[in-house]
Amino acid sequence: MDPDAVAKAFVEHYYTTFDSNRAGLANLYQESSMLTFEGQNTQGCQSIVAKLTSLPFQQCQHAITTVDCQPSGPAGGMIVFVSGNLQLTGEQHALKFSQMFHLMPTPQGSFYVLNDIFRLNYA
Amino acid sequence: MEEQVEMVGRAFVDHYYHLFDNDRSSLSSLYQPSSILTFEGQNIQGVEDISTKLNQLPFDQCQHEISTVDSQLSATTGGIMVFVSGSLRVSGEHHSLRFSQMFHLIPTLQGTLFVQNDIFRLNYG
Repeated sequence: MDPDAVAKAFVEHYYTTFDSNRAGLANLYQESSMLTFEGQNTQGCQSIVAKLTSLPFQQCQHAITTVDCQPSGPAGGMIVFVSGNLQLTGEQHALKFSQMFHLMPTPQGSFYVLNDIFRLNYA
Repeated sequence: MEEQVEMVGRAFVDHYYHLFDNDRSSLSSLYQPSSILTFEGQNIQGVEDISTKLNQLPFDQCQHEISTVDSQLSATTGGIMVFVSGSLRVSGEHHSLRFSQMFHLIPTLQGTLFVQNDIFRLNYG
């Protein structure tokens, strides 16, 4: 499958899950996964999902502006670089964000997130 | 360990943007034939083509100002992921541009790091 198509499909799946069933993100992380969210480091699926499900907003909607992807090396990994808007329910203005994923293939033929870095983009 | 990775990431970023702003053609020393750059959506591979792209950007002088640097070890590649956000001031322009950039750094046999993956995006307001 075309890497760009894979990246776009992953991004769509990730943010749809985030926006409608945040706990479902657990399927996308493993024990070795690392998340840096606004400068705070978390490791391992359980801790990462705990962090994401305890963010200080109940509902949100991601709108993706750009998706760039590149192969990361012989292990079959893929780097995906996203920028977009994050609308929190009740807030008047959307927040702008950038996020980087390093995806690794699973034996089942899908991908999991090995590295995940998220930053809001302040004006 | 985490602190070490952060220090390495920060040192690399300082070095990279110092070269970019003062001696742009020397950036070629940080890339290898396998390196890939995606600059505002355009994909470029290899030292020469990447060098050409960076040297031909439509401004002579610029200054990067870094706001945030986040680094993580990449367990499967032995490399380091570095995620940067900051501002880019281009000489002659009134307002600086905001940008985000990601580097995937791989250690060389000589003990330095080279840029295997590089993705750059301007952040429009």
